[in-house]
Amino acid sequence: MSGVQQPAAVVAEGVDMDFGTGAAMAVKDAGFALGRGRFLTILGPSGSGKTTLLRMIAGFQTPTRGQILIGGKPADAVAPHRRSVGMVFQKLALFPHMTVAQNVAFPLKMRRFNPAEIAGRVERYLELVRLGGFGARRIHELSGGQQQRVAIARALVFEPELLLLDEPLAALDRKLREEMQLEFRRIQKELGVTTINVTHDQREALVVSDEIIVMDQGQIQQHAAPAEMYRRPANPFVAHFIGVSSFLKGRRSAAGIEVNGIDCAGQAVADLAPGVACLGAIRAEQIRIAPAGAPLPGCDTVVQGQVTDIVFEGERLLCFVTLPALAAEVQIYHHDPAGLDQLAKGASVSVGWTAGDLLIFAADKG
Amino acid sequence: MSEPGPKQDFRYPLHWRLMDGVERLADIVWPRSMARHTGWLFIAPALLLVGLLVLGLVQIADSSLRVLDTATFLPSEDWSLTNYEKALGTKVYLTVAWRSVSAAALTTVLTLILAFAYAYALVRVRKAWIRKALLITLFLPFFIGQVVRAYGWLIILGNSGMVNEALGLIGVAPMRLLFNYGAVIFGLVQYMLPFAVLLLVPALTAIPEETETAAGSLGASWPRIFWHVLLPMAKPGLIGAGLVVFTLTLTDFAVPAMLGGGSQDFIANAIYDQFFRTADQGLGAALALMLVAAGSILVGLVFMVFGAGTLAMGGRK
Repeated sequence: MSGVQQPAAVVAEGVDMDFGTGAAMAVKDAGFALGRGRFLTILGPSGSGKTTLLRMIAGFQTPTRGQILIGGKPADAVAPHRRSVGMVFQKLALFPHMTVAQNVAFPLKMRRFNPAEIAGRVERYLELVRLGGFGARRIHELSGGQQQRVAIARALVFEPELLLLDEPLAALDRKLREEMQLEFRRIQKELGVTTINVTHDQREALVVSDEIIVMDQGQIQQHAAPAEMYRRPANPFVAHFIGVSSFLKGRRSAAGIEVNGIDCAGQAVADLAPGVACLGAIRAEQIRIAPAGAPLPGCDTVVQGQVTDIVFEGERLLCFVTLPALAAEVQIYHHDPAGLDQLAKGASVSVGWTAGDLLIFAADKG
Repeated sequence: MSEPGPKQDFRYPLHWRLMDGVERLADIVWPRSMARHTGWLFIAPALLLVGLLVLGLVQIADSSLRVLDTATFLPSEDWSLTNYEKALGTKVYLTVAWRSVSAAALTTVLTLILAFAYAYALVRVRKAWIRKALLITLFLPFFIGQVVRAYGWLIILGNSGMVNEALGLIGVAPMRLLFNYGAVIFGLVQYMLPFAVLLLVPALTAIPEETETAAGSLGASWPRIFWHVLLPMAKPGLIGAGLVVFTLTLTDFAVPAMLGGGSQDFIANAIYDQFFRTADQGLGAALALMLVAAGSILVGLVFMVFGAGTLAMGGRK
């Protein structure tokens, strides 16, 4: 952390959170640095500590160890209402007894902005979230998506250094959620405000973020850009959590991994001594499938299998295939828009992959 | 040889058969064709009760218009407004009325302040045992009647009561803590507090804690969160609780009688005196009707201004 030239927008150093309930620590030794204007998503399953980490950045909770710096200054002693942090809450927490404009004006009044410029600023931010002219409405007169927009405008109107999003999209239906994801992205790019988003939706993380942190059991598993995170997961947990992956248990071999006595081509993410127990992970779209006996050109490993189930997902098929030789089952995305391949339940098939697509991890994690 | 189908000796459980019997009986007493009128059936007992009350009010109205003949001690045959003129024209009754109204207002304000803090603690406290202790403390007074509690205060606050004894230990001369306005207000607030808390708790439960957290993150300090968010959002509960406390206090009898010691009479005490001491039923009835009118007008006004949904805690008009 010492090599940062200009102060990063947010830095966490060795942050622990122990609620003292006797259970495991909510957050363990979390450390990261986030540059100005970046959009970071903290991704993890429920109970992974992601919301606790966010609440510590917001100042609602104080780390039991370590420190958080906002704009280069330690934030621990600063009360939430004195931090320059705007937050959009999971349940939005709009004020039902105020109009839309009064909701958006609230932080300006509380932070003693010049009363003469409040009305204009409120209208500007309502236009930013495409709610121009809605100022006089009551909160309960708005749709779910419009309420989201009010919450965003209210969190941004006082131009905070940092915007925090605590799973605000979790309750929306899928169409609206995807629309709001793009909206978050547009607004964030337009204002250039440093943003930290918390979600358990891997698709949302990939779509909106510049950087992703994956958390599990209170610990940061990986911190990387979305594409890197997807292509180079640091451990089996990340490989499992982002995208659809299949796993093969075996031992390290020269070519890759030896599974059930068969050598499979793969690529180790770290130095692993030959013979150690390891886990191969491969993404559903990186396995190729063809009718039994048909050639699979370019594949380094080809094995025979049987289709146990096929799920039609519209633009693609999700095939469940057992590989008796490897004593494993894999999931395969197959693009077959015209339905020519005539894959059916019970059909014998050949599946294959290239060495670079099967990632090999030490078997102790995940 | 076994027959397919239900066994011969199968019987439905007893409570099923009982319910079937009740249903059959209900079909005879209240046939299905009457289903449209079932609503009336349900409110019939309430209508009966209200009807009796109205009858009683009519009777009181009748006697309020008859003047007591001091020679025969019988009410007059013909109607007049003499009792009302007397009630409005006598300084004692105006003093009593003013004392009742002002004490009700003061008690309401003090009770709401204390009850809000108590209810807020009850709703927001995290430790389960503290919440239980607060709830038990809240309900305990309900098991002890108002008269018994007032009597308890007589013992505690009396000239040689616990408080004066304790003060005596540090050299303070005994004080007259009872039979004054302050003692009555004290007793009333203590009596009304549980009612107010019970009415405020649902209103405060309806305010998500996240709303307060959000207000904080938007730059509001604690007093400002209270003033701009908590208080407006709790308004329906505050109005409901205030209304209940005000009307109960306005019509209270036991606390002013016992802790006021006859020097702090409320309207209810004056009415009691007319009925049971001077036996002037007409004047007592006139005072009672004026009290009913004052209370009704107040409730009507509150509903007109804030909406009848106020007591339903819905937060909407």
